[in-house]
Amino acid sequence: MKDKDRKLYLSSLTDKLVRGEMGRRDFLRLSGALGLGAGALGMGLGPRPYLGVSSAQAQEAVQPSADVIAWLKEVGKPFAGTTLKLATESTPPSNAINSQLKKYFEEATGIKVEIEVLPLEQVLQKLTLDVASSLGTYDLYYIDQSWAASFSQDVFDPREQISAKPDLAMPNYNIDDFLPALVDGIAMYEDRMVGVPYDIPIFIMIYRKDVYEELGLKAPTTFEELYNNSKAITDKKGPNLFGYAGQMKSGHYALECEWTSMLWGHGGSIFRTDGTFSGNDEQGIAALDYYTKLKATMPPGVDGWTWDGQGQAVAQGVAASMLSWGEFFPYFDDPTQTKVSGLCEAVIPPQPIALRTVKDTGYGEIPGVGHQGGSSLAVSKYSKSPDAAWLFMQWATCADTQALITVLGGGTGPTRASVYDDPRVKANARVGAGTTRHLPVVRETIAKYMGSEPDLPEWAQLSSDTIPVSLGKYFAGGYGSSKEAMDDIAAQVGEVLKG
Amino acid sequence: MSVAQVKRISISDSPIPWLLPLVSLLVVFTIYPLIYNIWLSFHEFVPRKRALQFVGVDNWVQLWNDARFWSSLGVTFAYFVIALAFELALGMAIALLLDAELPGFGALRAFLSLTLVIPPAIAGMMFLLMEDPQFGALTYILNSLGLLDKSIPILATSSTALAGVLLAEIWQWTPFMVLIFLAGLRSLPTEPYEAAMIDGASSFQMFRRLTLPMMSRVIAVAVLIRGIDLFRVFDYVFVMTSGGPGTATYSLSLYAWQQTFSFIKWGYGATLSLVSLVIIMVLANIFIKVFKVRW
Amino acid sequence: MHMSAGQRTLRTIAGWLVVGLFFFPIYFWTSVAFRDAKDIFSWPPKFFEFPPTVRNFEQVFGISLGFGFGNQDVVTPGGGNFYMAPRLWDSIVIASMSTVLAVVVATLAAYSLSRMDFRGRHHFVNWVLSTRMMPPVAVAVPMFFIFKQFNLLDTYTGIILVHGLMNLPLAVLLLKSFFDDIPAEIDESALLDGASRWTIFRRIVLPMAKGGIAATAVLCFIFSWTEFLFVLTLTQTSIKTVPVVSSTFVTSIGTAWGNMAALGAAAIVPAFIVIMLVQRHLVRGLTMGSLKQ
Repeated sequence: MKDKDRKLYLSSLTDKLVRGEMGRRDFLRLSGALGLGAGALGMGLGPRPYLGVSSAQAQEAVQPSADVIAWLKEVGKPFAGTTLKLATESTPPSNAINSQLKKYFEEATGIKVEIEVLPLEQVLQKLTLDVASSLGTYDLYYIDQSWAASFSQDVFDPREQISAKPDLAMPNYNIDDFLPALVDGIAMYEDRMVGVPYDIPIFIMIYRKDVYEELGLKAPTTFEELYNNSKAITDKKGPNLFGYAGQMKSGHYALECEWTSMLWGHGGSIFRTDGTFSGNDEQGIAALDYYTKLKATMPPGVDGWTWDGQGQAVAQGVAASMLSWGEFFPYFDDPTQTKVSGLCEAVIPPQPIALRTVKDTGYGEIPGVGHQGGSSLAVSKYSKSPDAAWLFMQWATCADTQALITVLGGGTGPTRASVYDDPRVKANARVGAGTTRHLPVVRETIAKYMGSEPDLPEWAQLSSDTIPVSLGKYFAGGYGSSKEAMDDIAAQVGEVLKG
Repeated sequence: MSVAQVKRISISDSPIPWLLPLVSLLVVFTIYPLIYNIWLSFHEFVPRKRALQFVGVDNWVQLWNDARFWSSLGVTFAYFVIALAFELALGMAIALLLDAELPGFGALRAFLSLTLVIPPAIAGMMFLLMEDPQFGALTYILNSLGLLDKSIPILATSSTALAGVLLAEIWQWTPFMVLIFLAGLRSLPTEPYEAAMIDGASSFQMFRRLTLPMMSRVIAVAVLIRGIDLFRVFDYVFVMTSGGPGTATYSLSLYAWQQTFSFIKWGYGATLSLVSLVIIMVLANIFIKVFKVRW
Repeated sequence: MHMSAGQRTLRTIAGWLVVGLFFFPIYFWTSVAFRDAKDIFSWPPKFFEFPPTVRNFEQVFGISLGFGFGNQDVVTPGGGNFYMAPRLWDSIVIASMSTVLAVVVATLAAYSLSRMDFRGRHHFVNWVLSTRMMPPVAVAVPMFFIFKQFNLLDTYTGIILVHGLMNLPLAVLLLKSFFDDIPAEIDESALLDGASRWTIFRRIVLPMAKGGIAATAVLCFIFSWTEFLFVLTLTQTSIKTVPVVSSTFVTSIGTAWGNMAALGAAAIVPAFIVIMLVQRHLVRGLTMGSLKQ
């Protein structure tokens, strides 16, 4: 058996063991026959209860491909001893790289990688200081899609890096493998590629299949159905179980994200072609009215929740559906942490009532119900070792590494087309922690229903302050009507854009 | 007495060598930031140029017309006054209560100081979890006692959000006051009290006429130290409400932080910080004058 | 003061009740550290009746306590094995060293401010106090540039300096009031006997003010232990303190509450030990500080 096939087979064995379809003894015998004993699995023969073995542990044996390591060894030699620094949000890929995968890179190249893991707003603080001072304290930037415009001039365009340094380019890196929609939505600003897509949390529809079946409901395909289903559940099962959970914390980016999805879904947009705020037009008001209506079916705590509280509401069986980040799905399937393991299903987001196109909007805004919150990884122009950083960036975003991230990092959505088809990733499509069974839905949503926020330097302020603060005020009863709230936001946005 | 000794006395009798380490540290690390911020307040960061640009008094004019600034100032004042009042009153009451040698009171005094070793950022998260409308322990207790309707999320309702944040604040810092007041109480001379008892004074009279005046210096120090920190409140509102709902808990420090780091408006952020500094200085000086604190 | 037996009982109960109230959130938070997520989020909330687990501690400190797997089986938000234990160590080093710095510098200054009258002393003390009034954001940014210039970013030295500095006003103010309580006549008679100021300070005044210094040290330690914004701004990957790494648990797929609580609970222990060690001094020390009106 070839190395790759062997691992694939092992992965399927592991899968069976996890599902309890195979005894531990058989598992050890078979995997031993593969030349991968228990030791290689990191399992040891200690008194560990085997039924609880999670997939990630067994997959310790899943290692980077030999080709990649060989290339790193060869090309990384001149940079041995360099130290690279990266500040990143605490996301599944970053955590997987930091705790499990970077050792392979470090061993092969002799380059040391230090990763600072922070909440999103603190990453922004770090980047801001670094950029404003041009000091190069970080070699790589983790750039959220909403900051792309702000930092577009501070990083290298990966296409230029490939052509400028052919000897450092990874063979088969294949930059065209990144999903085109993601390159467009996350990385492109004007004509520059602000790094490559690194992770892709995207709104998908997640619902409790058991509850839906019990009440004879079908997965929502339109916003109207979503509301009706949600209301039906809340009416029947409330206050123990609510139909829907939102992410509506005032003044938080989360609220802006959810609102945007509703806005786009009702044929509205954030900006007009002339760059003025259009949330207060007819469609915008309809969207906010719908949002208000839907909120009535949500748990009372929803105004205090970001996606954190929202996710917990579904995970702990308080809410029966949410239109939110697909990254939550693998967590829901973890029986040790949630009460809904195996009970959730993922489908594509509801169909929009009407949809504007990029041509009808401003600042490159792409309407679509599947709101994306992706990020890119890029090499800083201020870095003292841009070449070593470039090597790391290629390795961290190549297909092989991404597949490992998806498996180890708990079913996070890959940004490359080929990774969705990777056998290692597909092998994990079963109920359990770190499942990948939702990924086909993620892929379809990216390709067909994705919505992307506009790119403008003021967007960080508008999206994390102006809009969610006023929306929060609206939901707390601070405005007379949805129209009044939207008009006020329009005025404030105008003020910010005026400078 | 040798000549050398005489010389040493005269040199060390000057405060300069004693104060030199303090002054040099403070100058380097506080005068510089002050000057830098003043300079910054007349500039603004221009993202496209990646540089600071002179803007004259624009930031100051903007401040005057900025509704968010005025509302954050109001929130900060409300927070400051309510928290200080509660912490002073509760702190004094608990200090008086615990100022006795009763079973376990030594341990109680130590246990009370536990709240102080928890970082405010974590304390904010603790209360965020406990005040969660869906899962929170505190919500549950208040619901059960009939003090709060289940449909009212504490931190997401304009009228209750500030109270929800203040709860964490007061919980964490009242023990700080207790600690300082207890120390003050235990040092009071006993004779005046004995005399007052003979005169038949009530406990309340003794507290007003004896304890309060004798504790005035301790209270002044406590008010100054705590008051300064209260005016700069950041961690709790940042973690618990992000300033919301709307701007109901949006403090001045939070605004300065957001302008600086989230919106990359360094000049305006510096302006806000300076205003905050000036207000605290004025308040502190009034306090020092009114209460005749003499260092 | 004399209390009847009834009063004593009542007051004892009241004391326990009040402190119990303040202690409750700490109990609850610590209990969260021993729960799985599904026991943290339930309605009605669980106060006692949950199956305890040490998984959170295993994950945060990368150790196996023998009941589970250690943390090899999960990608922890903090980033892997043995991640948080060094952060606890960082916190201890920074808090103790910065306390030493603040207390040494402040003791010298406070002694002279207490004993040597000079013009503008009152204003000088006010100025020292005013250095604590600047919002931390406004100090952190310029500090970042200074630190970069002197290679202090991401170093123990840097953070120790900043924390020491931040505590100076508080320390000077407190220590001055302690020294004020030690009668100045002692110094004067010793001066007449030919002792130098330095000798008097070291041999006579310092020992007498030991309690006050201990009290000041505890407060400095606590303020450094809990500080957030400076550490966040001035460190990168080599060092971090507990408050800052705690925010690491706020991930893009939700907050790891159990892990955060485990670190928080573990972090109470060293700080509490410090407090207990000086607790006796603490009360006696602060006592002396307020003798003089």
